[in-house]
Amino acid sequence: MLFRYSIVLPLLISLIGGCSGIKTYPNSPIKNLHVEVETDADSLFSSVRAAVDIYRVDSYCKTEYEGTVQFKYPSVDLGIPPGRSSYLVFVYTRSSFLSNSTGTVRYDVLLTPHPAYKYNAKVRYVDNIYNVEISEIQPDSGKIREIELKGLNTCHAY
Amino acid sequence: MQNSVLVSVILLSILISGCAGKMPQTAEEFRKVLPDAFMGKKEEFEVDRAYMDIAKTFQTMAPRCLDVKIKTTSQTYQSYQVIVAQYNPTVIVTKDKAELHVQKRHESGVMAVYKEPEKGHYLIVADVTPLGKNRSKIVMYRPSIGHDVMVKAIKGWATGKNIGCPDLTQ
Repeated sequence: MLFRYSIVLPLLISLIGGCSGIKTYPNSPIKNLHVEVETDADSLFSSVRAAVDIYRVDSYCKTEYEGTVQFKYPSVDLGIPPGRSSYLVFVYTRSSFLSNSTGTVRYDVLLTPHPAYKYNAKVRYVDNIYNVEISEIQPDSGKIREIELKGLNTCHAY
Repeated sequence: MQNSVLVSVILLSILISGCAGKMPQTAEEFRKVLPDAFMGKKEEFEVDRAYMDIAKTFQTMAPRCLDVKIKTTSQTYQSYQVIVAQYNPTVIVTKDKAELHVQKRHESGVMAVYKEPEKGHYLIVADVTPLGKNRSKIVMYRPSIGHDVMVKAIKGWATGKNIGCPDLTQ
């Protein structure tokens, strides 16, 4: 009996983990994207969770899921590979306990970080309004420029 | 919540149509009908923001935030309902007027009582006109009940404060 559980339990855990489709983003040691997260504070009635799904984008504009970062803290540093495009999908999930409902909205961004540049992202969900702003910091001058955010539909295959 | 929104939408559709069996087919018809319609509201306000800045924000944010398909489900012990709605924004900018039209078309779960425009029934029309270098006037034709988050977002685009997308899953 014990032997049976020892086989079934690890199998079950691995299956559930594998089938969820969510994996932790293998964050690069070189961090170039500083993310500040602001969401409505949890209440007795509702809560908001924020995360980002990160995809690699190839020269044909096809995406390959690389992983997810759950924003558990007000700020987090990410390493997004420079010199190539990544597709970032910021996901906000709102749960309402009273109505027993959840809602998910997404804000997608196609980002191609320049080598040596740093980026700041403000990820916000306040009063049912959500937004993402990303600014670019030049390495030499430190000059900050807000980037016009574009979605995957602006990707051009080459 | 979802049921109240659904009832509001159906009531609004019927009431805007003036019970005459006709729904506004253009933004201009919507502007004319809405102020006198029950649950319709014409709202005017001025903001300290340049006209072209507001127009540009409309052009950026409307396609990003309002060209979306929203699926909502509601479940009780007796029923299970799925509603799929496609929102369709249109932004028209000229030298002296910017217009934002938001239309909504139910793809499933709600039956259209009257003939709808191709992009769905008109939900909100917002007109912006310049008053000066950094001052503009906004006229919104909108429901008086419901869609508060969308109204708040559009006002944010006009004022330049708390610019973002409305969570339409509410």
